[in-house]
Amino acid sequence: MKKLIEVLWPSFLVAGVAEMLFFTVIDPQELYFFGEPVQVSEIATYSIGFFAFWLICAASSLTTLFFQRGSEEINHPERFHES
Amino acid sequence: MSEQATSSEAPGRAAASAQEESLYAVRQKVYVRAVSGMFAKWRWALVWFTQLLFYGLCWIPWNGRQAVLFHLVERKFYIFGWVFWPQDVFFLAILLIISAYGLFFFTAIAGRLWCGYACPQTVYTEIFMWIEQKIEGDRNKRMKLDKSDMSGRKVRVKGLKYAAWIALSLWTGFTFVGYFTPIRELVGSALTLTFGPWELFWILFYSSFTYLMAGVMREQVCKYMCPYARFQGVMFDPDTLVITYDEERGEPRGARKKGADPRALGKGDCVDCGICVQVCPTGIDIRDGLQYECIGCAACIDACDQVMEKMSYPKGLIRYSTENAVRKHWGMKEIIAHVMRPRTLIYGAILGVVTLAFVWGLATRSPLRVDIIRDRASLAREVADGYIENAYRLQVMNMTELPRRFALTLEGIVGLRMAGPETIEIGPATTEAVTIQVQIPYGTVEPGSHGIYLVVQALDDAEVRVREHTTFIMPR
Repeated sequence: MKKLIEVLWPSFLVAGVAEMLFFTVIDPQELYFFGEPVQVSEIATYSIGFFAFWLICAASSLTTLFFQRGSEEINHPERFHES
Repeated sequence: MSEQATSSEAPGRAAASAQEESLYAVRQKVYVRAVSGMFAKWRWALVWFTQLLFYGLCWIPWNGRQAVLFHLVERKFYIFGWVFWPQDVFFLAILLIISAYGLFFFTAIAGRLWCGYACPQTVYTEIFMWIEQKIEGDRNKRMKLDKSDMSGRKVRVKGLKYAAWIALSLWTGFTFVGYFTPIRELVGSALTLTFGPWELFWILFYSSFTYLMAGVMREQVCKYMCPYARFQGVMFDPDTLVITYDEERGEPRGARKKGADPRALGKGDCVDCGICVQVCPTGIDIRDGLQYECIGCAACIDACDQVMEKMSYPKGLIRYSTENAVRKHWGMKEIIAHVMRPRTLIYGAILGVVTLAFVWGLATRSPLRVDIIRDRASLAREVADGYIENAYRLQVMNMTELPRRFALTLEGIVGLRMAGPETIEIGPATTEAVTIQVQIPYGTVEPGSHGIYLVVQALDDAEVRVREHTTFIMPR
């Protein structure tokens, strides 16, 4: 549970900032999806955009968490079952 | 305060045995004891102020629209008389800088004022706890209820509390979305249950967030999730006002009979009643000194002052003070004298300059914006009567909420003329794309590129005028 939040919460914060910056500069109506103009409503574009950012940021957090494991934890995973 | 200050209950938190399987660390549930006093009054004043603003502002009409509306679909932010466009992102950036420096400035002077009184996390937790207190009763009753076995009464009381929390959360979520979609349209959709899927989603999302943060997570948000709580310490210095326990005066702490002279007993002024711990929303003991968990809410000051009053001791065993003041036994006068110091002066100066820049920018913001680009299809073409014509695409943005007529004139080369209308009308808060053709007799100027200017002038206001540079190409 703790690890889940460690991944989801920072990525949520950063996704919020990224969403704001991105859509301040780019009008959702100017977006193309596989060469086709985006068909869905603006609210849907903003929302999907936010979740896409969240997903990307979460992937980054997850990678950080993954690489954070020390040699002890990799060599002796049984000692780290807790937390 | 309804509960009696008894010394048998110390230390405060030990009585609360309920441990929660918590999200971050093993967490002892904090049963916050209600507190009254000067600082609690301030906090409630700010709860009222911020929430009247939040729940109320979206209902105020202005010029036939919502006064404050961040219209995402139209990509326009309406704030009373102003309409902001994506091009105005400069103002948003400046506003963020002002907020940051405001936060630094006030933190340097008096610690976590924001956290203790105005942060939404504090405000909603305060409201949620008030509901809890009204329904479940005071701290002792709540602890007893949680420990008691499941019963009809427990289900009823808890159910009522959760229902009230959910209702408030839903209203908060609805209001929040009402700042991004016109709220009166939302009411219409609510009455007919025809929300757009994403609107409904965001209402529920924000509602659950409110519920989770203020009802469940509470102090854990400040302790583990808030980025500001982690770095606020760097703004502190020995002259920052923080909530301080006067160790010299309080120690050695201990229980005593009312009216006993503490000095004769070899004791300090702290009666070790533990109430300062019971009222703490983050469940810390301020007597251990300044801790990053302390959100500066001053609940312990209010609580301790009441105990001191009962004991007929002077107030202020726990008080707003600075590290230097406690160490050097300064009075209020010296504390105030040390408010002005390089750190606060620098923060204050930056804050002042940026605020001035913001106000100046807002006051001189042109209600008209023009973009001119050459038509990419053709450089120049010959038209009748030996004239050479260049075409341009014009983006004219009328940022006011009234329709406006503009005159278009050309400068830069004598003899330039415009084919087509010389005035255009742009609707309220609208951008329009116009194509214009500029003509000049062949041979008037050397072949090549020449700088020209297009002047867009509002017909009703001489001040509203934009002069844009572009080029005219004369072929060989």
